[in-house]
Amino acid sequence: MSVLMIVTLVVFIGAKGLGYFWPQAIVQFETAQGPVMGEISDREPAHENEPERLQLRVANRDLYGQDFRWFQADEVKNPKLVADAVLVERLEYGAFIGWIRAVQEDGKVIAEGPGALPGVEQRLPKAHSLRSRIHAIEKGEVGDLNASLEGIRLDRRRLKSAPDEAKGKALDAKELDLKARYQQVSERLDELRKESQRVTVILETVDGQRKEQSIGSLIRVLPVNSMSTLSKLKVYMSRLWEFVAEDPRESNTEGGIFPAIFGTVMMVLMMSLVVVPCGVVAALYLREYAKDGWLVRATRVAVNNLAGVPSIVFGVFGLGFFVYTLGGSIDQIFYSDRLPTPTYGTGSIIWASLTLALLTVPVVIVSTEEALASVPRNQREASLAMGATKWQTLWKIVLPGAAPGILTGLILAMARGAGEVAPLMLTGVVKLAPSMPLDGTFPFLHLDRKFMHLGFHIYDVGFQSPNSEAAKPMVFMTALLLLAVVVLLNFAAINLRRRLRARMGGSTF
Amino acid sequence: MEIEDPRPIPEPVVLPPPKTEPAWDRAAVAEMELALRVRKLDLWYGAKQALFGIDLDVPKNTVMSLIGPSGCGKSTLLRSLNRMNDLIDGVRIQGQVLLGDQDLYDPKVDVIELRKRMGMVFQKSNPFPKSIYENVAYGLRIHGVKDTRVLDETVERSLVGAGLWDEVKDRLKDSALGLSGGQQQRLCIARALAVKPEVILMDEPCSALDPIATGRVEELIFELKKDFTIVIVTHNMQQAARVSDFTGFFWLGKLIEVGLTKQLFTNPTQRTTEDYITGRFG
Amino acid sequence: MTERHFDTELKCMKDGLMAMAIQVEEMIDLAIVVITKQSDAQAEQVVELDRIVDAQEVRLDCACIDLLGLRAPFATDLRFLAGCLKIIPQLERIGDHCKNIGRRGLILNRQAQVLNPDYFEKMGQAVCGMVCDSVEAFLKGDVDLANRVIKADDLVDELHHQIFGELLRQMIKDPLCIERASHLIIVNKDFERIADHATNICEEVLYILEGVNVKHPYLHQDPHD
Ligand SMILES: Nc1ncnc2c1ncn2[C@@H]1O[C@H](COP(=O)(O)OP(=O)(O)OP(=O)(O)O)[C@@H](O)[C@H]1O
Ligand SMILES: [Mg+2]
Repeated sequence: MSVLMIVTLVVFIGAKGLGYFWPQAIVQFETAQGPVMGEISDREPAHENEPERLQLRVANRDLYGQDFRWFQADEVKNPKLVADAVLVERLEYGAFIGWIRAVQEDGKVIAEGPGALPGVEQRLPKAHSLRSRIHAIEKGEVGDLNASLEGIRLDRRRLKSAPDEAKGKALDAKELDLKARYQQVSERLDELRKESQRVTVILETVDGQRKEQSIGSLIRVLPVNSMSTLSKLKVYMSRLWEFVAEDPRESNTEGGIFPAIFGTVMMVLMMSLVVVPCGVVAALYLREYAKDGWLVRATRVAVNNLAGVPSIVFGVFGLGFFVYTLGGSIDQIFYSDRLPTPTYGTGSIIWASLTLALLTVPVVIVSTEEALASVPRNQREASLAMGATKWQTLWKIVLPGAAPGILTGLILAMARGAGEVAPLMLTGVVKLAPSMPLDGTFPFLHLDRKFMHLGFHIYDVGFQSPNSEAAKPMVFMTALLLLAVVVLLNFAAINLRRRLRARMGGSTF
Repeated sequence: MEIEDPRPIPEPVVLPPPKTEPAWDRAAVAEMELALRVRKLDLWYGAKQALFGIDLDVPKNTVMSLIGPSGCGKSTLLRSLNRMNDLIDGVRIQGQVLLGDQDLYDPKVDVIELRKRMGMVFQKSNPFPKSIYENVAYGLRIHGVKDTRVLDETVERSLVGAGLWDEVKDRLKDSALGLSGGQQQRLCIARALAVKPEVILMDEPCSALDPIATGRVEELIFELKKDFTIVIVTHNMQQAARVSDFTGFFWLGKLIEVGLTKQLFTNPTQRTTEDYITGRFG
Repeated sequence: MTERHFDTELKCMKDGLMAMAIQVEEMIDLAIVVITKQSDAQAEQVVELDRIVDAQEVRLDCACIDLLGLRAPFATDLRFLAGCLKIIPQLERIGDHCKNIGRRGLILNRQAQVLNPDYFEKMGQAVCGMVCDSVEAFLKGDVDLANRVIKADDLVDELHHQIFGELLRQMIKDPLCIERASHLIIVNKDFERIADHATNICEEVLYILEGVNVKHPYLHQDPHD
């Protein structure tokens, strides 16, 4: 039954989302207002006295102002597949549908008419590599330089409270040096940017509007109607890959969602790292050490009630306790020189993880208690009778025996944690994080950074996006990915558990 | 008148000494060194008294078996010999248990150290879910032995001692749970041997084993007697008769009769014992 | 105290032993008649009865071993079966002696009496009484009776000596009766042996009942007590 439900869910979401990446045919129609061209993206069958309607993705948001248009079926005539029509994916303004008329270099036409398309295709790889170089410099060197400059600024502020000539001079020198290097880098960047601007492409829409665009801003040029299935498949795969591995563009409605995947996984892993020790220690105390009394009973009741508290309440608690109180104090004590800019005193991945850990710890406690109880009594006795202390018995016999059960708890906790969005919105998730919580800049792991999350991404793209029609497939795809991430994490844990069990020789729980 | 007998006088035949242990009589027993002495032991589970004034002497290098109907307190006594009853809430104990000269219930006694001197084998074989090797090495490891050579030697010696070495020497790294029931039980015995206890307590060690495995364990007990003192609880009177030198009969928490196994099984002095061992118990 | 199936089997055993004892007692009675009354018919009957006793011995032996093997008894049960196992051959031996007396009776009956039949009447009754008492002690578990039987053996020994002396005197007096007297000496010995077997039975009974071995009191080494 539940298997059926899951399969239905996956198939449904998959059907809605996966089709999005398949290159659709470009159809041209005649209408009273002139010709239109685009992909048929939706149909509404006729009902009552409404005639059948078609939705056309005409793209060219920069020229038309909108991506989609509705037509009544009897309004449009003579559908026709135009062989040389192209779909151009661009970095900005979404896709373009129309024709490529010419390629220019430094203003001079170098390819025209039928030669224009091959000309673009030929120059595209170079433009892409140029773009990624620019991107790398922006992200890497410029980012590093900025970080160093920020460091100097902070040092300055510190010096103000305890002036020191020599240090001040050293700082000045360092700053000068950095500024010089910054200058160099910006020059190099400018050069590269100019280089990428040199080649431009003349695009023309079906109603004759023309637009010139630098080749650097094009991602793919697809003559969809004349493509073979195989090359469509290639495009499909590369789009899929882009979706999974790239940063988002156009306020999240295009490009990939890698930061969100990464943020989700990292947040769940951090949560696991916190929740397992806490939950296990709590369960050990409750079951093995605490004498049965009102305190233990109260704790049990509390744990059980904790599991029933709505997650947004945890979000509020996380915001109030972790972010403001704990984070605020950390800032006061360790990062006072940066104030009033908060470091830990604002939502960040660590607080989000801790909040989720709090949310899921009852699950781990309960299942760990079960697991501890299921370790055969006679094994404990055997260990104790050998002269082992209680602690040795717990550590060497009981915990390994309970490990599969504890992992079960972790699996449940992860499943719950990965799917929660509400508490995260208060404690550190953002729609677009400038940088990821784990990167190449020292100290590599930035617990104080905000992060992106698949669940929140769905919400953001689906409901907060300016172009929600275009983002609809993204929502489904993101949901599918969220599902996949959760399933993957669970499989990892289940696999670990299976191996543990096998090592223990098939004892069952 | 003397008659000449032509036949040569035959050499007297010298018989080999009998293989079984010499029959102890009371006098000999009185002179034996005692490994374990229980004096006036009373035990309560909460308000319920489970043992009543137990007096029991176990001579060194002998096997003492405890028999009696279910619930009469055999396991309770056994568990008070290595203070496993400490783990149960509400247990109260009066009286003395002396291992050598040391009173086990002396408040100064180190229970951990004591349990090392008293190995225990349980009714249901309970190997740890670890490898065969780790099972046997467990006792040493928890007492801080790290030297692999010592561990290897002890594991081999214990497994040989438990008669299991030849069967498992090629699969020491395999899980102990892959062994048969009888092998598992002998592994548990090996595990107990590894820490070189003085006394081995066995609580119905063969109750889950087939006759072959039981036979092996019984042979093993016979061998172990040379180096250890053994107290074994069993419901199988034939087994008690086969393996033990002394037998104690428990009934309703009292030690009704204790004596040489031969005596107890052929001619018990107490009517209750008689009824129990002949199966007339109602 | 629970009723065991085993108890029925033990009872069966006891009944079998009783049947055998009754046969044997009858044989002793017949033997007495053979010697005192010189009756051929009784002599033949004794020889015939011995075969029945032999068959009973084999049957009871088997049953005893079966019970020992299958029931693996302890304590009284063990002692009872062990005792039975030893009493059965005693009874059988008694039967053999009676048969021997019967055989000799067939020879002696063709000749004149050597001895006053009263002697053997007395001897026979004493022996027969001992056997009856020993069997009764076994069946009833009567320790006193068993002890009395053991004591009564002395009387039989006394009679045995008397008859032996009398026969010797007869032989010295009349060498012609040496052959007959010799037969009677053996008959006399047979009766004496029967009494010994009765004593043995009583010793077994005492072991069954008390678990103490009272045989050969001069051997002080006693493994159990
Ligand atoms: N943990 C306990 N708490 C309370 N009573 C107990 C406990 N363990 C045993 N008893 C009681 O003590 C008495 C003796 O139990 P024990 O386990 O020693 O019997 P046993 O002779 O070993 O029986 P068995 O042959 O069935 O193992 C029983 O009446 C039992 O109910
Ligand atoms: Mg028990």
